[in-house]
Amino acid sequence: MTSANTDKTQDDKVLDAMKSFAETYAKRTDTYFCSEPSVTAVVIEGLAKHKQELGAPLCPCRHYEDKEAEVKAAYWNCPCVPMRERKECHCMLFITPDNEFAGDKQDIAMEEIIKVRESLAS
Amino acid sequence: MADSVTDSTFKEVVLDSEIPVLVDFWAPWCGPCRMVAPVVDEIADQYEGQVKVVKLNTDENPNVASQYGIRSIPTLMIFKGGQRVDMVVGAVPKTTLSNTLEKHL
Repeated sequence: MTSANTDKTQDDKVLDAMKSFAETYAKRTDTYFCSEPSVTAVVIEGLAKHKQELGAPLCPCRHYEDKEAEVKAAYWNCPCVPMRERKECHCMLFITPDNEFAGDKQDIAMEEIIKVRESLAS
Repeated sequence: MADSVTDSTFKEVVLDSEIPVLVDFWAPWCGPCRMVAPVVDEIADQYEGQVKVVKLNTDENPNVASQYGIRSIPTLMIFKGGQRVDMVVGAVPKTTLSNTLEKHL
């Protein structure tokens, strides 16, 4: 029981860190979260999951032959090279204001992320 | 609604299908996959009997995903007579998907 509780705390810490990163990075790059908040929530959760499992927030919107090798290559570690160079996030986490899917927020409530996490935990 | 397909059922359900098949390659933590899923379901209803529509979870079925060189998710692939004939990458509007599909009916 103790170890399960510790894991949970660690999970929450990583999730919190990913949420803060996403909010800060959106503001810094003048990009916005998706108008549909569950999209943002699921991507932040996916990044946190990769950070926890692999040590780096590998993009959750790609299929990899070898995740460990990709983490080392770093190209798809968030923020990925296309995002840093051209503000291209095909995961729809950071959306430029001219995109029809862009919302008007650069913050997301933790409740929103928890809600999605619970809907996926089955 | 689109049915699920796996590494083990892919040949039977997709490659051996008598009619064209649309395969939605998705992953659980992929945001745009959530946007495209309802579009794929609508397509399944609209083309019922003409096109088979299925989805494949790339996390749980890495063999088929790797075999077809899936990189960006979501990827929507159209199969006809056991061959890949077209594909669309990303969360696309329904019109884009149906226009692509129409070419192969």
